[in-house]
Amino acid sequence: MPDFKLLYDAILKGYAKTAKETTEQALADGVEPIVLVQEWMVPAMTEAGRRFECNDYFVPELLLSARAMKASLELLRPRLVASGAKSAGRVAIGTVQGDLHDIGKNLVAAMLEGGGFEVIDLGVNVTPDRFLATVKEKNAQIVAMSALLTTTMPAMKTTIDALKQGGVRDRVKVLVGGAPITQKYADEIGADGYGESAVSAVTLAKQAMAAD
Amino acid sequence: MPIAVYPGLALTGAKVQDIVTNATAQCDAQIALHERYRTPFVLSAMDLSVEAEAFGCTIHKSENEVPSVLGRLVTNLEQAQQLAVPKPGDKRTSVYLETVRRLRKLVDHPLVIGGCIGPFSLAARLAGMSEAMELTITEPDLMHTLVAKSASFLTLYLSAFKEAGADGAIMAEPAAGLLSPRSMGAFSSAYIREIESAVCDGHFALILHNCAAKPLHLPSMLETGLGTFHFGALMDLPAVLGQVAPEIVLCGNLDPTSVFCQLPPLEIAARTANLLAATAAYRNYVISSGCDVPPNAPLTGLDAFFNTVDNTIQNS
Repeated sequence: MPDFKLLYDAILKGYAKTAKETTEQALADGVEPIVLVQEWMVPAMTEAGRRFECNDYFVPELLLSARAMKASLELLRPRLVASGAKSAGRVAIGTVQGDLHDIGKNLVAAMLEGGGFEVIDLGVNVTPDRFLATVKEKNAQIVAMSALLTTTMPAMKTTIDALKQGGVRDRVKVLVGGAPITQKYADEIGADGYGESAVSAVTLAKQAMAAD
Repeated sequence: MPIAVYPGLALTGAKVQDIVTNATAQCDAQIALHERYRTPFVLSAMDLSVEAEAFGCTIHKSENEVPSVLGRLVTNLEQAQQLAVPKPGDKRTSVYLETVRRLRKLVDHPLVIGGCIGPFSLAARLAGMSEAMELTITEPDLMHTLVAKSASFLTLYLSAFKEAGADGAIMAEPAAGLLSPRSMGAFSSAYIREIESAVCDGHFALILHNCAAKPLHLPSMLETGLGTFHFGALMDLPAVLGQVAPEIVLCGNLDPTSVFCQLPPLEIAARTANLLAATAAYRNYVISSGCDVPPNAPLTGLDAFFNTVDNTIQNS
């Protein structure tokens, strides 16, 4: 019987190789992928997030946990899809047009994936049209935007406008975050949620999905 | 002592790209603000891409934004070991050195403060920001190699600022604020301590700026041996002022975006007054912005800030 605690610990401590090997062993032993995800992997990332919130973990530790989670998920994804297992939601995430900062976006993407979401990471300098296209083509339910500069923040509003003009605004939730972003700004531009941290982004995304 | 050069564009009509590529434009913007606010100091602009560009990083430039680093220059230990250390004056570092030389000639003799990135933040740009974070744990030797080379260059660069006539420099080390206090000590503070020993004396001081640092990082930052620190909104200044020796000066921390860009002047005046009141008991505090004030911050906000500071000083 595989040692699931080993998988949990590997993800929590950021040991991607061990996470991958333990996952391979579990699959070989016939363990259901959804069990691994829901009972061991997501709780491990949730604990990593909790440690980050209380300053026990910092950005490096959180990124490494996310990498270990990703290593396991890559093995599980084909089987999850084949079994019809549903993710918590599909998120298109990116840093807005004109902005090349990605560390915050990477953290949020990692936490969302760890929280059971399917994440389409569009990278940096993402145009409004690209966000729109991803919503249409991939049926993204959440658009998550990051900006680190006051000069690029306006691209968030431009993207929301593009979603409206594209006729999809009503079927997506828009979440925003980044150093210069505030709740007030999020409200002003018509975003559905503002995340102050990578960990709060997961809670926000879950609330957004529940609101549908 | 707000870190503000780019808002001077509103007075000179230049673009951000002019400031970061041309010493005349940079001086003009800073002098315009200096004259408007009668500041006792003048600064070179904060631009955290300059040193990385000198090392060979590819830079993204646009008309109205400070340049940023694209991609990664170093991906493995061998590349880090072979990476050449540039010289002061290479690429756009010459713009900032020349800016300081010209500011030194101002007839009212303000304090002239140069600026540079910190060694870990520079090393992170060489390795890629997200990657560098992980490498501090998975490949510490690679990061130490890069930080050591970054510190080597910064020692030379700061010496050049000193030679150009600067009274000091603000060293911006935000990436280190994302690390644990222990890692900050190992990958940042230890190197800054060496830079301080090499460069600082009674005529040249280093101010360590870290807008990502939290109160738990303060002991690691104090390990640098520096005497002046500049913080962002995450640092509870009234609380930590009581924790440092009276000869340690702490500066900060009205947020450049949520305060200077997004609040009306009356509210900025209120926030300034509140912060001054909360820190009134401490002689080792200098009110400032929490980081570089962006180019699009309305001057009316800076007006409100400086008027409130002036009024408080006059009334005290």
